[in-house]
Amino acid sequence: MSAAGPVPNPLLEVDRLCSGYGSLQVLFDVSLTVGPGEVVALMGSNGAGKTTTLRTITGLLKTMSGTVRLDGHSITGQPPEALVPQGLVMVPEGRGMLRELTVQENLELGAFTNSDRASVARLMDQTFTTFPILAERRQQKAGTLSGGQQQMLALGRALMAAPRLMLVDEASLGLSPIMTETAFNLIAEVNNTTGAAVLIVEQNVLALDLAHRAYVLEKGQIVATAEGAEVRSMQGRLREAYLGAGH
Amino acid sequence: MPSEASGFRWPRVETRSIPGLTVGAIALVVVLAAPVLLPSFKLDYLETAISFAVAALSLNLLVGQTGQLSIAHAAFLGVGSVVAVELGSRGLAWPLVFIGSMAATAVAVAVVGLPSLRIRGLQVAIGTLVFQAFAIDLANSTGVLAATRSFNRPGYLQSAGHVYFLSLAVLALVAFLLSRTRATRAGRSFVAVRDVEARAAAFGINAGRTKLLAYALSGALVGLGGALFAFQQNSLGSAVPFGLQPSLLLIAVVVVGGARSSVGIVIASFFIYALPSLAPAGLSKYIQVVFAVFLILAVLFQPEGIGGVLKDLNHRLGDLVAGPRERPNPRPMPTDPVEKAHSATALRQVPRSLSGRLPVPALLSARDVTVQYGGVQALQQLNLEVRRGEIVGLIGANGAGKSTFFNAVSGLAPVRGSIRYRDRELTIAPAASRSGAGLVRTFQDMGLVRADTVRENLLLSQGWLARYPAAAGILGLAGTLPTEKELRRRADMALDLFGLDHLAEERLGDLPYGTMRIVEIAAAVAAGPDMLLLDEASAGLTPEEANQLGYRFNALRDELSLTLVIIEHHVPLIARVCDYCYCLESGRLIAEGTPAEVVAEPDVIESFLGAGSLKPARGSV
Amino acid sequence: MIGSEIVTGLTIGAGYSLLAVGVVLVYTSTRVLSLALGEMGAFGFYLGVKFYLHGVPLLGWHLSAFEAGVTAIVVGGVLGFLVERFIMRPLTARPGIDKLIVTLGVALVLALVELNFISFDPYPAPPFLGSGHFVLLGATLTTSRIAELVAAAGAAAVLYLILNRTKLGLATRATTSDPTVARLLGVKVNTVYRFAWMTAGGLAGLAGALVSNTNGVLLPFSLTTALLSSLAGAVVGGLDSLGGAIAGCLVLGVVQNLAQPYGIAYESGITLVIVLVVLLVRPQGVFGRSSAF
Repeated sequence: MSAAGPVPNPLLEVDRLCSGYGSLQVLFDVSLTVGPGEVVALMGSNGAGKTTTLRTITGLLKTMSGTVRLDGHSITGQPPEALVPQGLVMVPEGRGMLRELTVQENLELGAFTNSDRASVARLMDQTFTTFPILAERRQQKAGTLSGGQQQMLALGRALMAAPRLMLVDEASLGLSPIMTETAFNLIAEVNNTTGAAVLIVEQNVLALDLAHRAYVLEKGQIVATAEGAEVRSMQGRLREAYLGAGH
Repeated sequence: MPSEASGFRWPRVETRSIPGLTVGAIALVVVLAAPVLLPSFKLDYLETAISFAVAALSLNLLVGQTGQLSIAHAAFLGVGSVVAVELGSRGLAWPLVFIGSMAATAVAVAVVGLPSLRIRGLQVAIGTLVFQAFAIDLANSTGVLAATRSFNRPGYLQSAGHVYFLSLAVLALVAFLLSRTRATRAGRSFVAVRDVEARAAAFGINAGRTKLLAYALSGALVGLGGALFAFQQNSLGSAVPFGLQPSLLLIAVVVVGGARSSVGIVIASFFIYALPSLAPAGLSKYIQVVFAVFLILAVLFQPEGIGGVLKDLNHRLGDLVAGPRERPNPRPMPTDPVEKAHSATALRQVPRSLSGRLPVPALLSARDVTVQYGGVQALQQLNLEVRRGEIVGLIGANGAGKSTFFNAVSGLAPVRGSIRYRDRELTIAPAASRSGAGLVRTFQDMGLVRADTVRENLLLSQGWLARYPAAAGILGLAGTLPTEKELRRRADMALDLFGLDHLAEERLGDLPYGTMRIVEIAAAVAAGPDMLLLDEASAGLTPEEANQLGYRFNALRDELSLTLVIIEHHVPLIARVCDYCYCLESGRLIAEGTPAEVVAEPDVIESFLGAGSLKPARGSV
Repeated sequence: MIGSEIVTGLTIGAGYSLLAVGVVLVYTSTRVLSLALGEMGAFGFYLGVKFYLHGVPLLGWHLSAFEAGVTAIVVGGVLGFLVERFIMRPLTARPGIDKLIVTLGVALVLALVELNFISFDPYPAPPFLGSGHFVLLGATLTTSRIAELVAAAGAAAVLYLILNRTKLGLATRATTSDPTVARLLGVKVNTVYRFAWMTAGGLAGLAGALVSNTNGVLLPFSLTTALLSSLAGAVVGGLDSLGGAIAGCLVLGVVQNLAQPYGIAYESGITLVIVLVVLLVRPQGVFGRSSAF
């Protein structure tokens, strides 16, 4: 493991997390941190445990051992609905579209825990300004949008919660290379303009371009980390992890 | 109480079984002595309880074994009774009356259960509920329940004691038939349909026909119960228990008794049908309500019901008498190479007809295979070949279509194009015929029945080798016993081969995940295949187990002469083991060749690392 | 006259749709088919009528007939709350057949309590809506039949407004679409489940009061028998479509009424045939989404 020291006062701190499904353990002592305003990439191939990590952090999956702390407070085992008011939002795998509901309704749901109607209206306006394509289609059912538009809606919906930390699960899934680049650019922009920290979980190495720090997950264990300039050169390490040593 | 015996072998009496057997023997003596102990009107209540116990056992076949819900079994009991009275009053001999009732009720239940051919959900239960209402309305409007007809019991069976013993005999027969069902192919098919219906075809099971058989069989048994009831009552009246409340009580009996326990169900039947009448007056209404509450409690806290409680008690008594049982090591044990070679050869002997000359070199060849789900093309014009004795790897990123290809080959996906195996076109053959043809596959998330034991699963997977009609199996007719013995022998050999024989009686779901996956491979081997399709066999294994897996693959090819096609995410494993490799992306073949060649191809690298990843990284020099 | 038969049939169907709406609401948000709703509704009305006839225990005062009806609705809602909180919630991870069986258990317990501890004979239903009648298109409709029609229309309208104009409704539609995503957005799905069950229970209570009024008596399981027709209507129209289920019930009501002169066996017989045919030919119902099955 390359030296990437722990971030002081991390926003998200995952400490020796173990979890799995019944008798099948998937994560083995996974530890990572995300600092305020950082973009951190968790890279790994299929079956490495990336989605399991996010599901455990958000409480969809029960922890076997280990802790998860948000801004110093333990959120281990808290159900997902309790996390949105604390500023933690997840864009799930496959974008989690509520297909029968309209674009506008999906966005409203993004701000579900916000009882201040004025601020919700403001956020809605902001989102439509950032994503004019969504404004055009506000009454359209989410299931009828294209893949790229759904990605926009997913991000817009996450922004409606004015999050401090966004977890993004495999944004590139099912997207063409151009749309993937667009999606990553959007995420970088969100991070720049709102200051929200992002933990992006990905297989696609292009995600490294937006990350300040990166971890590599292989068969449920963190096998490498890097920060700053070193992140770009992790590509080789990833190729080794995905396709086997000696390349 | 001895566990369900598969095949006629006297169970060895271990010390730990003695307390259970003793209790059982005492209970048996009490039951047989009842005519002496009870006045005859109380004996009537016991007899009614026995008829309903028969109905409950028949319902258990549907609910407990096959996972289908019938909310009309009291009405079906009524059908059996009404038919029995009609036939009996016309002078037919009573054994023929019983058979007639069984046949008529079997048809009725099968007709109401027809929607199960089409749907997997629980809406079929609504159909049964509507039938329940209809049956009562029909009975009321046509007056078949009028007490004017009588069964005409034969003279030699008139006394209360005779009727009682006949009832006991019928109960014993039904319990026996149920245990025979569980021990043969029919019962295994029912359980497979309950737990892994979508994949049952992999074991040679036709889900629709299996469900219909379950309905018909349940119908025959409940018809028998109805005929018995009519025999006991001699004539029916308007106060007969064929309505909605009795149907719900039957469900309660099955759940409280325990879906896997005939003994539990019989005890529960006694509680609900005999006890209220035998108990002091004011108590009976409490008994019913308490029982219904037990139904809810059982679902919430004790799904195994009374049967589970008894089994637990039996274990504890056994522990007290003979000391605690040793838990077997839940991992495979090292095996003896000589025995292994012998088992491997023996497992290859299967009755498979070879059609035509074996074309060399391709064993499996796919041409222009296309699979489309709605608007999505899961596979596009795929061309792929597997040669005899090869280990072929199939890799690709998520959603590439690898499992879809397996589904296409095993008949679980709609296919356009041609897939030929041993020079026979597979796309026109039914899904359940694959394992018989020599093609066996495993599933990414383990397609076995966790509620069954390891050995039972290995019997299930050999479905195509159990070439006897279900009914013959249940009745234990000639030919079925030797077949079952042979299946057991093969299962034990396969377990030996993988070092799993010490786990044969363990419940699959209780084993660690890695061991479960190896059981799945053993089950596939027991079916005597030519070609094995292994879907993500390494998923969920520890790094050490995954390492072992590589050796197992080689052993499967070398010792069992199998051809393997393996889907793997973990590419390094493919590189170690495979002779040839195909890489898919979004349903298309993007590369083929030896593993080393494929892994070096730019298209493949981009597919795994992300498109555009081979461009120079942004910001770098 | 066919017109009057159709109108009468529509009012019968309207009565069924009160229960069907509850079934669909619970099914779409929790994926549970609740066969307990019939008895939950009847139980509330049983208590109401008991307090009307014999007075509230410990308090002595007798309820008016109207208050008996209100009791039905309230008790139905309370039962919905209890069933969701203590029976359905612990079973969330279990297979569908277990959940279905447990709702049957609830129905059985309630019916047995009614039978054994409240009354064994058919219970007289107090005419809390008076006994006038109107004539519409040649059909003679009692006030209670009209009340059923009004209640069903009212319930459908109110539910539509709640689902489409309130935050709770939005949360319910989100949960119906995808409970996991809903949770990730901060929706408390347990609240949605509670809403679904309590509303279904309350509507069942209303149905219990009105249907018993129409029939004049209250019997254990009689409301479950009515529930059957509601289920049949929902199956025909679509178990995951509120509008479809209502339409299905109305059609079924008309068909049943047209078959009635031939005998009660024809009524339930034709219901059976329709259900079996729909299940075989288009299992998701006329308006249902095929992805659900």
